[in-house]
Amino acid sequence: MKSCDLITPEGTRDLLFEECSAIKSAEDKLRGLFMSYGYSEVITPALEFYDVFNNKTRSFRQESMYKLTDEKGRLMVLRPDSTLPIARIAATRLKDSVLPLKLFYCQNIYRSNPKMAGRDDEIRQSGIEIIGGEKRRSDLEALALAARVLDSFNSKTARLELGNNSFYKRLIRILGIEDDENVRTLIKNKNTPELKKALSVYEGTELKGAADMLLCLPTLFGSGEVLDKAKELFSYDELLGDLAEFRQTYEQLCRIASRDRITVDLGLVSKADYYTGIIFRGYIEEYGQAVISGGRYDTLIDSFGGKAAAAVGFAANINAIADAVHFTEEITKPEVLIFADEDSLIEGILHCAELTDKGLTAEYYDGQTLSGAKDYAAVRGIKRIDAFIGTNIEHIDV
Amino acid sequence: MADNSKIRIALTKGRLEKNTVALFERAGFDVSELKSKGRRLILDIPGSGIDVVLAKAADVITYVEHGVCDMGVVGKDTIEEHQGSYFEVCDLGFGACRFALAGKKGEDFYAGVGIKTVATKYPNVTRRFFEGKGMDVDIVKIEGSVELAPLLGLSHGIVDIVETGTTLKENGLEVYEDVLPISARIIVNPVSMKLKKAAIERLVEKAEKHKGEID
Repeated sequence: MKSCDLITPEGTRDLLFEECSAIKSAEDKLRGLFMSYGYSEVITPALEFYDVFNNKTRSFRQESMYKLTDEKGRLMVLRPDSTLPIARIAATRLKDSVLPLKLFYCQNIYRSNPKMAGRDDEIRQSGIEIIGGEKRRSDLEALALAARVLDSFNSKTARLELGNNSFYKRLIRILGIEDDENVRTLIKNKNTPELKKALSVYEGTELKGAADMLLCLPTLFGSGEVLDKAKELFSYDELLGDLAEFRQTYEQLCRIASRDRITVDLGLVSKADYYTGIIFRGYIEEYGQAVISGGRYDTLIDSFGGKAAAAVGFAANINAIADAVHFTEEITKPEVLIFADEDSLIEGILHCAELTDKGLTAEYYDGQTLSGAKDYAAVRGIKRIDAFIGTNIEHIDV
Repeated sequence: MADNSKIRIALTKGRLEKNTVALFERAGFDVSELKSKGRRLILDIPGSGIDVVLAKAADVITYVEHGVCDMGVVGKDTIEEHQGSYFEVCDLGFGACRFALAGKKGEDFYAGVGIKTVATKYPNVTRRFFEGKGMDVDIVKIEGSVELAPLLGLSHGIVDIVETGTTLKENGLEVYEDVLPISARIIVNPVSMKLKKAAIERLVEKAEKHKGEID
């Protein structure tokens, strides 16, 4: 068989030097932000049982997960998401904790994307989860933090978009649609022409009004005026109640972050079926997909057999932040290169420890000749060599 | 909102391109550059803030999905075969035809209990169609004239795009069943839709208004 020992699997890549440091800078920034807000960090295993991600109320498409088996033949996956593992923890090890739980993570997720489409299969995400808080307060806190994360992209076009799938869910219930996968996909894709066809069965029935409202959902996005438009269109009391609540959250958010950076989309529905309230996304022009994605998931912890607890959270795509921001941070070059000849190997190593203890960056040269050390220092851009020759130490400026 | 930014739209080369250019002309855009394009692949519609990119159908989807083009005009056939994440906002109506299941004239495709073999250029569309019927079929991917497969005895039927049905007729084949109607669609990158809403909506509105005038 042909060996693949020189390449990485499609959708993955080695991150070298600048790329690596850009990712780490982005991650450190978010990590510092979340810690300063009092969040505690968790790391969940990259390997999880398939069952965590496949259950009636929380299913990931099985084609999109990397799978393997353990020694008992049980199916495992590389985690495609961090929220479900954290809900699992909240329902088990943290079930007796004082609420609210405020957790954050920085870790990779894995998705098996269609090949040759230029998609990353390994994505680094950092995000938060607020579990067991009072709904309005937690929603606002999550949104405020998402707005701050979006600031870190330094993008003039950055927008935070607020949605809520309760409009969609109520209309589906009113229309009595049980298997809503097709309709949900059409709404998600803002496919009004096809949605119109799918809803034509309600033509001439007393549900025509509700069908028309559903048909309008995908078009109800943009700035705050959309909410006025929705108020004219919606007629059911429960929908209008949801809308009033939504407007309140929107207005509050506009006081936290600037109004011209907040948009709404009442037709925002998610592929992940577990959201039960607000859904939000962050966009920047430089990146073709949402860079922040989150929402409320009140039934998830319950579905792991835990106490029912309201929860909200989001994840930010660290690769996207690193790409968009072009962190200019210099890759640290050592200040001193240490050369030791055959008689002073120990002295050289000890000298290295001494310098680094003083706060300098010092690299121990792993070659035999001083001329080699000089060439190496020139290539690496190191300005000073401390050379141990015999028992003498010599400082050489390069 | 920052809505004065340029819009880049990818057109499927060939007939859909001609139709779309005609649509742009009806909508009052200056299409002189589009009509005398030579071999250039990126063209400007002067004074409109719109760039036009010419690409093969499947590539239109790829460019829009990645957000390097904000919008695209592509046939429903390509959308169904290469599904992805983008908004499908407008049915332009032109380029109308259909996917159909066809085979030798007078034969009953569904007769018997044996597994059927179906030849097609569109394996994903074919698989979904038969999955919807709960039917196992063997799918053979063919690159060129699919009509040959049943004639040569390779397959029991074909799933292919049918416009007038002339090719089928001349080769002694007939349509057994329609699979899906096809027409040209406007697709939009989700982030562009949100960040360039006004400009994109203006263009879609113009398209909706004039699409009936294109044949």
